[in-house]
Formats: sequence, structure tokens, C-alpha cells
Amino acid sequence: MTGRVAPLALSLLAVTAWAVSLGVLSGRPELFAVVLPIVLVLATVARRAPLPAYSIAHEISSDRVFEGGAVTVTVTVAARSPIALIELLGPLPPGSAVLAGSHRAVMTLEAGRTARWSYEVRFPRRGAHDLGAIAVRVRDRFGLRTWERRHVDAKPLRVYPWIAPLRSLPRPVHAQASVGDYVSSALGEGIEPGDIRQFAPGDRIRQVNWRASLRLGQLYVTQQHRERNADVVLMLDTLAEVGAPAQTTLDLSVRAAASLAAAYLARKDRVGLISYGGVMNWVRPGSGRVQYERLADALLRADVVFTYVAKDLLRVPPRVLSPQALVIAITPLLDRRFAKAVLDLAARGFDLVVLVVSPVEVTRATLAPSLLSELACRLWTLERRSELGELRRHGLPVLEWRPPEPLEATLVGARRRRVRLANAG
Amino acid sequence: MMRLLAAASAVALFVLLRLTTPAPAVTVAGLVGLLLTAAAIAALWPWLATAAACVFLAGYAAALWIEGAPVNVVPALGFGLALLLLLEAVDLAGRGHGATVDAGVVRSALGRWIGLGAGVLVAAMPAMALATLLAPALPAVASPLLAAAGALGSVLVLAALLRRAR
Repeated sequence: MTGRVAPLALSLLAVTAWAVSLGVLSGRPELFAVVLPIVLVLATVARRAPLPAYSIAHEISSDRVFEGGAVTVTVTVAARSPIALIELLGPLPPGSAVLAGSHRAVMTLEAGRTARWSYEVRFPRRGAHDLGAIAVRVRDRFGLRTWERRHVDAKPLRVYPWIAPLRSLPRPVHAQASVGDYVSSALGEGIEPGDIRQFAPGDRIRQVNWRASLRLGQLYVTQQHRERNADVVLMLDTLAEVGAPAQTTLDLSVRAAASLAAAYLARKDRVGLISYGGVMNWVRPGSGRVQYERLADALLRADVVFTYVAKDLLRVPPRVLSPQALVIAITPLLDRRFAKAVLDLAARGFDLVVLVVSPVEVTRATLAPSLLSELACRLWTLERRSELGELRRHGLPVLEWRPPEPLEATLVGARRRRVRLANAG
Repeated sequence: MMRLLAAASAVALFVLLRLTTPAPAVTVAGLVGLLLTAAAIAALWPWLATAAACVFLAGYAAALWIEGAPVNVVPALGFGLALLLLLEAVDLAGRGHGATVDAGVVRSALGRWIGLGAGVLVAAMPAMALATLLAPALPAVASPLLAAAGALGSVLVLAALLRRAR
């Protein structure tokens, strides 16, 4: 606990000095009487006051929320000795906003009394925060001395990116060995009818195709297509971003990645993630709810780290970026290095879809409407159309998402006509 | 609430100035003090309140000097209490600005100030009696020097106290 003299004491001392100076100059004793109350108050500093005794506990209503969600912080102060004035500054991470109440509180406590104070904080943007630190300042009777300390009790909070429900998803070309929702070209156990062949020992009776058997005079069985899952790798561009906080191209890309991850995982696919930027991170493909937690953890920490160095995707281990995987590159295409990396992947034969988050719309939303800004946006759109055309000329499927239009609307137009998947497993 | 108290104390200081003397120069000083207090309350900047207190003090000194009336300690004590209330109220208003303020804070502050007022009155009686006893014993020539030395000494003692408390 750090003790110090408050600025009020210096202010009172200055007024005292001024008053006695005026008293001496004017020769009026009343001016000495004027400072008597101030001197009496200042003299209380000489008294050796005991350190204020109190305890603080705080809790948060939830340790994980989605973007736009709110958390209630409740702080309880118990005084063991009288406290003339206690100031509390609760945690308020950058980018968050107080929804109800205030994150600052001022109270007076008698010995043995407990006070509770709470406020609600809204988190408009993804991130990992710690709501564990409360700054405490206790003041003496006349506010001349203060004691400060930080109460720290770790309260981690994760704000996950908002997920849009998606029904239309880019279909992968290659299937994997595990059971999933895609009808594979390989025959085996499944629901989707495939070819018919002559009955062989070991075939089950329920597989017999009675209609064909009666027509051909021999027993025939129906074979089914296997239903398999696929590997999907989401490649997130973290090289550059534009836009207002909570609505930057990176925020939108992260929301798109989270939505795609949730949708593919719901289809029993294995989903991985590569953050391609100043710092390159990746999450190995996996499936299930735990995998979503892993992906969301990686996504909520995704941030732009400036670099002059172009990272090589050859550094990514094959178990993360499998040649059989569908790679969905999510990018605003603001940095040419990402387009080059995507073209490299395409040249290496990866099944690739490029989802472009339009920075034009994001930037337009931050600008005041004017003829000049509108003209600039239109020119930029033309320039970007040529860039996207260049990618398309390389045979890459490019989807342009123009927020605030829903992501689903962009993906619907991109459903690829692939009924049977090549089997890799 | 604290802002209201600060404004009330500034008005009380202005009224005390006007009651001491209706001289235009003093009224102007009082108005400047009121303006500075209004700025301090709006900006919640305590140093503006300190400046306002200094202006009020200068006005009070000028009023006493212009009038040249016999010594009367009671209004001076009231003036001092109002000055203290002004400074403390602006400081407390700044602390509570934008914060959840417990109802007990204002209640306990008011109680403290009322107690202080009573304490000051009690302390002033023996101080005045002592001053009345000592005054004839002091040589008239040395009085200004003694007053200056006493003033300087008391300010230095207070400064030393604050320094030690750091």
C-alpha cells in the first residue's frame, strides 16, 4: 500500500501562505483568523493515522461471451476499520464500454460494514481480457492523505467472435477417411445408392436389389457410396486491416472464419487454421467441440503485426496444411504478399477458395458521405475488380463479401457442383 | 450535490465580501472569484478553485484595509470555513465525477464540516484570549516583524508536516 499527500493538502498550504502574507502586508489580524480552520485541518496530517483495514473481493458474471455480449462485475468491500472515503476503479479493458452503472465508485464505510457495487461492461470486439485488477485509493478524514494499492485477483474473460449461421458452404474436392456428411465416390457403407453388382458370399440380404435380381434372373446387390468427412483449413490474412474498431476487415474476417469453422465442424469435418501475417500461427485440423474452442482461442488473439518479411507457407507442417484439404483463404487483399501466397498454394495444386472481405465497404462506412469519398470508393472498387479478375484468371474461385450483406448470401452463389468427392482415405 | 455545496460556499464568500465593504474594487474581485469557481466546478479542476480562493482572500484583505473597521474575528472564521468548504467540495466533486457515489459520502462530509466548524469556534476562543493578553506586552515597533516571522514559521511548520507525511 502506497501512502502519499493528496494535492488538496498542497492547495490548502498555498492558500494558508497567501492568507498570512496578505495579513502581514495589510496588518489585519482577521486574515490570520481566516486560516485558522485550514491550519487545524492541515495539522491533522501530523497525527499518525493507522493504515485503513479492509478487504476486497470481486467476481464476474461469465468468463466467456460472444462479441456484443455484456458481463457484470460485482465488487464487495468489507471494512475492518472506519474508512472516510474509498475510491475504487474497476477493470475496463480497452475497447469495452460501460453499459450500466459506472466502473468507478466512491464510498464511505464504517467499521464492520460491507458494501457491494456492480456495473455492466459490454464487449463489442473479440479478445482475451483479464478483469482481475481493481485500483483502490483510501483517503483520510479530510482527504489530505491517500493510500493506494492494486487489488489483483485474476478473472480471465474471453470474448469470442460472433458466429453467423451458415447453410451453404464451399464443398471440398477431397474426402478424408473418417465418417462425415459428404458422399464420397468410393463405394462402401453408406446411405446414398451407388452401383449394383452380383451377389457374393458375405453380402447381407438387406443389400439385395430385388428389382434388378428379378429382372436379370440372378441375385444382385446395391452398393452405397461412403459418407466421408473432409479437411478444411481456414487461412486468415493478418497482414493488414482497415476500418473502425470492432468493424475492421480483420474483425470481419475473424467472424467469417469463426462462422465457417462452426459450420464445417457441425458437419463432422476436421477444421484447421493458419494466421498468415507478421506472426504466423496455426492450429492443426481436428473435429468436435474442443477443436472449436481451440480455433476460437486462436481467432480471438488474431491481430495485425506489421512486417516487411513475406512468410513462406512451406514452413507450415503438412499435417496442418494437408494436400487433400480444402483451403479457404479469408482476406481483404490489402497486401499483395497474401495474394502471392494464395497463388503459390494454387500452383501446388491445393483445393482453394478465396473469400475476399471487401475493404471498400468497410472504409466507406467510416467516411462522412461526400462526393469526393464516393468517387474515391468507386475508383478503388474498379481497381479491386481488376485485382480479383487477375485471381480468377488463375482459375481460383473468388467470393467477394461486401459487409453488411450477410456472409450466407455470398456463399450461396458459390456452391460448387461437386456431388461425389474424390476419396483420399 | 458537491458541486452545489461548492457553488454555495462561493456565493457565501462573495456575500461576506460585500458585507465587509461595498467598494467596487472588492465587488470586482468577488466576481472574478465567482467566475473562477464556476470554471472550477465546470472543469472539476481543483487548481482553479485554489486560484478562486486566493482571489477571494485578496478581495477580503482589500475590503478589511479599505474599511479599517475594528477587529472582528467571527466573520473571518466564517470566511475561512467557506474557503475550506469550497476547496474540499470541488476536490470531492472531482473524485465523484462519473462514479457511483454512495449516499453516505455526502452525509459524512457534511457531518465532518459541521464538526470542524464547531471545533474552529471552540479553538478560536482561547486563541483570541491569548492574543488579547499578549498584545499589550509586545513592543509596537517589533509587531510587524513578529507577525511576519510567526506567519513564515507557521507556514514552514505546516510544509514540514506535509513533507514528513509523504
